[in-house]
Amino acid sequence: MVRGRPRATRVLLYAILAFFAAFYLMPVYVLVNNGLKSFREVSLSRMWAPPQQVTLEAFGKALRELAPNLRNSVVLVVPAALISAALGSVNGYVLAKWKFAGADVVFPLLLFGMFIPYQSVLIPLVQFLQWLGGLLPMPLYGSITGLVLVHVVYGIPITTLIFRNYYATVPTEIVEAARIDGAGLVGVYRNVILPLSMPAFVVVMIWQVTQIWNEFLFAVIITSNPAQQPVQVALRNLAGSQIVEWNVQMAGALLAALPPLLVYVFLGRYFLRGLMAGALKG
Amino acid sequence: MRIRRDRALSALILLPSVVAVGVFVYGFIGWTAYVAMSNWNSFIPDLSFAGLRNFADLFQTPRFQIDLRNTLVFTLTFLAGCLGIGLLLAVLLDRQIRGEAFFRNAFLFPMSISFIVGGTVWQWLLNPSTGVNLLLESAGLGALKSPWYTEPRIAIYAVVIAALWQMSGFTMALYLAGLRGISDELREAARVDGASDLQLYRHVIIPLLHPITLSAAIVLGHVSLKIFDLVFAMTGSGPAFSTDVPGIFMFETTFRGNRFAEGATISIIMLIMVAMVIIPYLIYSSRTEAEA
Amino acid sequence: MARVYLEQVSKKFGVVTAVNDVTLEIPDRQFTVLVGPSGCGKTTALRLIAGLEEATAGNIFIGDRLVNDVAPKDRDIAMVFQNYALYPHMSVYDNMAFGLRLRRYPRTEIDRRVKEAAGMLGIEMLLDRKPKQLSGGQRQRVALGRAIVREPQVFLMDEPLSNLDAKLRVQTRAEIKKLQARLQTTTIYVTHDQVEAMTMGDRIVVMRDGLVQQVDSPLNLYEKPSNLFVAGFIGSPAMNFVEATLAPRNGALVVDCGSFAIEMPPDLAAIAKDWTGKPVVFGIRPEDIQDVAFARDPNPAWVLPAMVEVHEPLGSDVILYLSTGPTTIVARVDAHSSARMGQPAEVVLDMRKMHLFETETHKAII
Repeated sequence: MVRGRPRATRVLLYAILAFFAAFYLMPVYVLVNNGLKSFREVSLSRMWAPPQQVTLEAFGKALRELAPNLRNSVVLVVPAALISAALGSVNGYVLAKWKFAGADVVFPLLLFGMFIPYQSVLIPLVQFLQWLGGLLPMPLYGSITGLVLVHVVYGIPITTLIFRNYYATVPTEIVEAARIDGAGLVGVYRNVILPLSMPAFVVVMIWQVTQIWNEFLFAVIITSNPAQQPVQVALRNLAGSQIVEWNVQMAGALLAALPPLLVYVFLGRYFLRGLMAGALKG
Repeated sequence: MRIRRDRALSALILLPSVVAVGVFVYGFIGWTAYVAMSNWNSFIPDLSFAGLRNFADLFQTPRFQIDLRNTLVFTLTFLAGCLGIGLLLAVLLDRQIRGEAFFRNAFLFPMSISFIVGGTVWQWLLNPSTGVNLLLESAGLGALKSPWYTEPRIAIYAVVIAALWQMSGFTMALYLAGLRGISDELREAARVDGASDLQLYRHVIIPLLHPITLSAAIVLGHVSLKIFDLVFAMTGSGPAFSTDVPGIFMFETTFRGNRFAEGATISIIMLIMVAMVIIPYLIYSSRTEAEA
Repeated sequence: MARVYLEQVSKKFGVVTAVNDVTLEIPDRQFTVLVGPSGCGKTTALRLIAGLEEATAGNIFIGDRLVNDVAPKDRDIAMVFQNYALYPHMSVYDNMAFGLRLRRYPRTEIDRRVKEAAGMLGIEMLLDRKPKQLSGGQRQRVALGRAIVREPQVFLMDEPLSNLDAKLRVQTRAEIKKLQARLQTTTIYVTHDQVEAMTMGDRIVVMRDGLVQQVDSPLNLYEKPSNLFVAGFIGSPAMNFVEATLAPRNGALVVDCGSFAIEMPPDLAAIAKDWTGKPVVFGIRPEDIQDVAFARDPNPAWVLPAMVEVHEPLGSDVILYLSTGPTTIVARVDAHSSARMGQPAEVVLDMRKMHLFETETHKAII
């Protein structure tokens, strides 16, 4: 078919795309629209109408109420993502570049951990954290520290997978050349692998930051005290007051969604670039 | 000498992770299974052996039966919808659209939103007295109004809509990458062979996308089997348990009702459902990886 | 079977003109080769005929039909792509049958044609395999088979041999030629390799920068190139080009190349006499230069003494790079020549085969 498709098909194409775009953007509109309304003005029955008077009071209030929880989320996400990334990197390196018996068994067993429903480990997890926290000088159950530990452990499978797949694309000749030059396992990692790791590191960090920030089940079970809860859990509690302040609710939801959204908006292309570089296949 | 030391070192490096995953995944699963076969259904632990009685009892429970049916309906509808919409959007975007980046980002960004926020927003949107119904009415489409999640017979589909909103961008991205991987030369050969656009998609492009369809289906399938956050935030159990899923049942019975053995039993059943999907896929993909 | 006619066809991609006002007739039943360096427009011309590109100007005829607005699938053409473009998910049989199935041919007819084509190409045993299980040469045959079963009016081939290794290429060249002779289908073949063009084409179209340089039989292109580009493109090693002037000497016309001068044969001198004193380009092919010791009745006026810079024995002959001071000339001499690197040698030029070109327009004088 030669160029210059019938105009009608093209119009239909854009119409369908626009319809879907509206569907996808509708929730954002609702959140932003109502978050900018004052308490007097906001009501569910008028959720679609634009604000007669734009005000940031809802965002201010939501920010004040959620500030400790946002901070908790940050304190949770940053160490957990970094540590699980570090572990994933060394694990992925060993699995990709150093053959040893059992690697083919270890890897699938590790992978399976990525898919399990977390409900199937919740009960023992709580008991274990309570027990281990008793042994150590700091509490694990009921604290962000415990939650960090949990996310690090359950993050190992996916971070290992991503790094392993990425390192598999590094030509073995480079590793062999380094070994001939005298580097051992650690030397190859430090001088060859680590400098090349940025694309995979970006993918892993973006993924883990988003996943851990958005995670709810572990967070709600392990941090019982509202002061320690990450923002997703606190958001549920924001809904529990007698008079519902819809504008604050919506502003709060937007705030809770904002960090991963910003990560996606600004770093999304690095994520895709890292994926293309081989960090994740299939 | 060096090689042996390095080999020992590599095992040593993996050891902490292997031990951690061994304990936190396999050890805990084992323990959960043990609890599932115990009598611990109150605040005081009672680990006396009960065999498979909890499982038998659970399958007789009306709520759980509804859960299973809901999971099935949800999974099938969600999968079909996600794959279909994802493919449609990818095909549309592959045609040199102006503003492709805008559309692509619009479809993809919901993936970065948590299920909690998504569920909360869609609860507001599909509230029958406000939300989308209001919009339809003011647009003159009042006939399309629906009771959404307040009507037991269709409530689960309201949840499917929210889930599609969050996840179909993912499928779209996968299909788009796959479409870009099909060379122009191949499409030209089909054109010269005589294929119309429709025939091109049906006979060449979609069959070549089968591997992607499979991986996407597996990932989406296992997510939908263990779905919890989204339903919890959006509707909870719903009217007459119409949106109840095993994840919610487990949460309520364990952490609100202290019926740990029952909760453990539900967890094990969830695990088995997920394993039935994942394990064949892992075996299949490691085999094809070995071939390549 | 049909002829193809391009009438003042142009194709522009933005500011780049790939095909520049080309008028070309491709006769029915013949094997026509479009040859030229990368970017000369040969592939674009092929794609215009196929309908994969739309002409910016001009008319394209297949048979007597104007096909400018006709879709590829309705032009009754078949194409063999450079990278074969086989459908990876279909078996060889299905790859070949695809076009026929789309056109709703009866199953028995499809089966007959596929088996027949497979037999012609020697791939009957491969019909159940998938492309990824085939070697490069086998895939190329399947691509050919896919074109053959359609029994089209015109075969279009876009550098189908360029992905094969050298030996396979030579072998397949001959097979394609035999196939075309048997099927008698009009064939348009694109290549950048002048050896391929010469060995395969009944007629060769030499292209450069979107323009047709010369259309002729292989022998004519070789013996009577119409300009400098064609002369240098056809033949390997390439023709020697030396800047020269024509000067009268002792009643004859001499080609004065600065470091040496050679007398022209009288009949050729008569043709070129209008260029006396003007700068020209002198051309002589390496195979028309022979070691004096091995030439039959060498004309002393055509002998050139020179220094051997490089000596490349091929077995069948020897390639000598000869220096006459500032100029280097390549000669293809007898295998037993005693010439050696760093030594002086004497060669004789067969001036009956000489060429002269205008310095500015590059058009051939002789």
